[in-house]
Amino acid sequence: MKKSVMLILSLLVVCSMLFAGGAGEKAKAPTADAPKISYEVTEPITIEWWHALEQQYWPLVDEIVGGFNQSQKLITVDAKYIGNYATVNETLVAAHAAGTGLPALTVANTPYVAEYGKGGLCEDLNPYIKATGYDIDDFGEGLIVATTYEDKQVTLPFLISTQVMYYNKTMADKEGIVIPAKLNDMESFLAKATKKGPDGKTTRWATIIPGWDQWYFETFYLNNGVKIVNDDRMTTDLGGKASSDITKQFQNWVNKGYTYWASGTSASSVMRQNFIDQKAFSVIHTSSLYNTYKSLVKDFEVGMAWLPGGETKISEIGGSVLLIPAKNSQAVKNAAWVFLQYLVGKDVNMKWADGTGYIPTRNSVLSSQEGAEFLKRKPAFKAVFDNLDEINPRIQHAGWNQLSTIWRAYLDQIMIENSNVDTQLKAMSQEINEVLADSE
Amino acid sequence: MMYNSQNDQALSLNRKAIAHRRIQTTIQYVLAIMVTLVMLFPLYWMFITSFKSQQEVLLSVPTFWPREWHFGNYRNVFKRVNFSKYYFNTTVMTVGILFSQVVTGVLAGYGFSKGFFKGKNVLFVIVLGALMIPLQVTFIPLYIMFANWKLTDTFLGLILPEAVSPYYIFMMRQAFLSVDDSYVEAAKIDGMGRLGIISKILVPMTKSTLITITLVTFTNGWNSYFWPKIIAKNEARRVLTVGLVHLRNTFAGLDTMNNHEIMAGAVMAVLPVIILFFLFQKYMLTGYEKTAMK
Amino acid sequence: MKLQLSRRSSKQVGDFATVLPALLFLALFVYYPVVQVVRISFTNWNLINDNYQNVGFKNWIWLFKGSGTKYLLNSLKVTTLYTLGELFVTIVGGLMLAMIFNRMAGSFSLMRALVFLPKYIAMSSAAVVFLWILNTDNGILNFFLTKIGGSKVNWLGDKNRALFSILLLTGWRTIGYGMMIYLAAMRGISTTYYEAASIDGASKWTQFSKITLPLLSPTTLFLFVTTFISAMKVFQSVDVMTSGGPYRSTEVIVFMIYKYAMVDFRMDRASTVAVFFFIVLLAITAATMKISNRSVNYDV
Repeated sequence: MKKSVMLILSLLVVCSMLFAGGAGEKAKAPTADAPKISYEVTEPITIEWWHALEQQYWPLVDEIVGGFNQSQKLITVDAKYIGNYATVNETLVAAHAAGTGLPALTVANTPYVAEYGKGGLCEDLNPYIKATGYDIDDFGEGLIVATTYEDKQVTLPFLISTQVMYYNKTMADKEGIVIPAKLNDMESFLAKATKKGPDGKTTRWATIIPGWDQWYFETFYLNNGVKIVNDDRMTTDLGGKASSDITKQFQNWVNKGYTYWASGTSASSVMRQNFIDQKAFSVIHTSSLYNTYKSLVKDFEVGMAWLPGGETKISEIGGSVLLIPAKNSQAVKNAAWVFLQYLVGKDVNMKWADGTGYIPTRNSVLSSQEGAEFLKRKPAFKAVFDNLDEINPRIQHAGWNQLSTIWRAYLDQIMIENSNVDTQLKAMSQEINEVLADSE
Repeated sequence: MMYNSQNDQALSLNRKAIAHRRIQTTIQYVLAIMVTLVMLFPLYWMFITSFKSQQEVLLSVPTFWPREWHFGNYRNVFKRVNFSKYYFNTTVMTVGILFSQVVTGVLAGYGFSKGFFKGKNVLFVIVLGALMIPLQVTFIPLYIMFANWKLTDTFLGLILPEAVSPYYIFMMRQAFLSVDDSYVEAAKIDGMGRLGIISKILVPMTKSTLITITLVTFTNGWNSYFWPKIIAKNEARRVLTVGLVHLRNTFAGLDTMNNHEIMAGAVMAVLPVIILFFLFQKYMLTGYEKTAMK
Repeated sequence: MKLQLSRRSSKQVGDFATVLPALLFLALFVYYPVVQVVRISFTNWNLINDNYQNVGFKNWIWLFKGSGTKYLLNSLKVTTLYTLGELFVTIVGGLMLAMIFNRMAGSFSLMRALVFLPKYIAMSSAAVVFLWILNTDNGILNFFLTKIGGSKVNWLGDKNRALFSILLLTGWRTIGYGMMIYLAAMRGISTTYYEAASIDGASKWTQFSKITLPLLSPTTLFLFVTTFISAMKVFQSVDVMTSGGPYRSTEVIVFMIYKYAMVDFRMDRASTVAVFFFIVLLAITAATMKISNRSVNYDV
């Protein structure tokens, strides 16, 4: 009898422990920093850096990280390729939720800044900047805006790119095709650059629009007066008339066989291949891939043009920022801060700019002799340098990631399934409004 | 004359029947061989591709035998990703799951068959009820729970949700029930303890069931994907099944088609199971039948 | 008397101790999470944020009367189609193979083993192999197709075909399983039935439809129930081969849950779909149990 009582009691204890575990699941708010923190690295430490640089960049990564490790007595950096930006995001948020397995420093795609900032994922870098007297004024104003969340410098700009159009310059010169500066002139350009076979099937696309990442078509909407996130931060204007107009225009071009909407798992490779095989006159892509295109293309010259604008001709900052996850220990954070400064430093930044297609981030480079020399090495970047003032920060909203997923899925449907634009956009904006309201 | 012709007729009828049966047999053989070849083809294609050079993989007219054997593909897999670590992780995870399922399964199988305690039937229903709750429903709270316990990217995190299998318990209970109680009683009179009865009497008498279910558990563990993908996102504890897909992703980002290397990875991932299959064919073939006939 | 009682209860405790570890594990890692997943479905939990509130039925309204409804319906449709496909392959295909391979010769036993082997191959390994076989430009299947005069087919990129392509992989892995189960059952059918039938002059087809099929009905039901439940939970092949695409045409329900939870980090929405999925599974299990108690021929 006694024993069975004991048994029941012990079972009860176990059960209550289970439910206590449940109550404990609500994680504590990050503890406020103690008033006095030392930002110095005092002991030998090995830290991990997560990046999303594909294999073709690994020699450069090794060179740059190796350079840092040699210059440091106490800090050793272990660079780790995680996958593309989406994979980095998934891995990082999971690690943040677990509070374990976090990198000391990681890259993140530019639109995640608000989501991470709001969720308390990143360390506020302002105290570090103050304590070590680090000068961030050399970054352009737009870059600073793009990397802050509510006055907190939660990230710093790392590899920055923007949307551009790559075109077949050899072909353009031969056939007298000019990339239009205005969206209004797009139609005639597309008609001229498209080639069709006797069966009416397109044999050469005028351009290819990436549908796998909304960043590539985002600016067409922005430049035609669409508010992707309204000022109330709870709704979108993507269901409105301006959005409908530009969407219909895209759909029309797709239907006419001028362009195709690249989406699906290997869309990026297929698009690249079409351009290399001269089956596409131009493609819309990121400026960071300039070196890749240049090395892949053998038979013609690659040109780079600014995307056709509307009322405005802005583009948006793409690429990645660097951040230090807040749940790291102070010693790790301090070491990460040292490495972060090195990575975004002027010299290293120029190495990236030369070895890849990323844009130099420093004002002191962009507006000086160094910039002119860079242009001499990479004349195609004139299109970007001429428009530096037009490169804007991304829209920052904690629901952005969800918004973009929904947006992409609907445009896929519209472009590839040829569905009715207005009904689709209406359903889409309702869905987006929900996630915006949920996330704000 | 007449008789003769009748006899001939009968003979030819008989011959016809034999010929008929022979044709039938031939058809059955042909069909069986064809089906087997079709079923084997993917494995053959995986194996063959894994030794081809990249140019050969991209030929517009595929070759059915490698022109040159490129063993280097296998080395490249280890160079591209930490394949040996995936191997190690999968092995430790599988052994862990196996060990804990066998121990808890055999013990509980004993308790629910030969044991006496209050609420035995109710508790057994609770065990069976767990069969109806798949991980695909509960992985969200499990993930959060494990994250709070700092078990993401750990072996314990990989093993714990699979540590007890209601299926294993059920099968062991059925097997032990088939052993006559008199053996157990005799052993008790000899003063044998519970663990002795289990290990010296029950387990040896139900060996073939035990081996079969354990093999099923092993392959299930080796091949598991859903939970490892969720709980071990980091490379440190990535398992083969997940890592293989990552191998593909890393390659897809490039312009090159690396299917020869992906196939080399696949060959290495499935080889242990294939070897096991042929070693324990007798048990592996009956494994699923056993569950079916209950 | 007292002594006896305590000995009996100590024996009880000892026996109970053998099942205790299993019960504790199941309570902690199976039953308790069910309570939790229901609870989370009433919150607004996003994994990035450390805190969350209860929001009542908001997620449920989203699922049944909001923008989630059409995705749920789509996933249910895709999952049902997939399940029907897998059922068809396992049962009809399995039975056909069982007829072909029902022969005692040694060579047949080897061939049977080879046909059954794919069941043990990890789904993710099989999936990368099939991705390669189904590759549009360099895949061997399209090569064969063009050889016999067809044109190249986009197996996984076409929304009307992607689910079928996944079912090719499923079929490859499960058809041998169906075959083995049927063969085991066929061995159990006494030959006297057939001898009696052939004396009566029954044709092979009559023998099959009047003897074999009815006597196999418990096996068929077993296959139906187990395949049904496991097919509803399909995830791996979809994740590796199509990631639910193109245009959600292969987004089965588990993939939908996974996407909300591990890509969007919307634990709230994911849990809501998971709870709904659980209810569906329970309902199906209950329904199949009812059927199996009624309409099966158990005379084997």
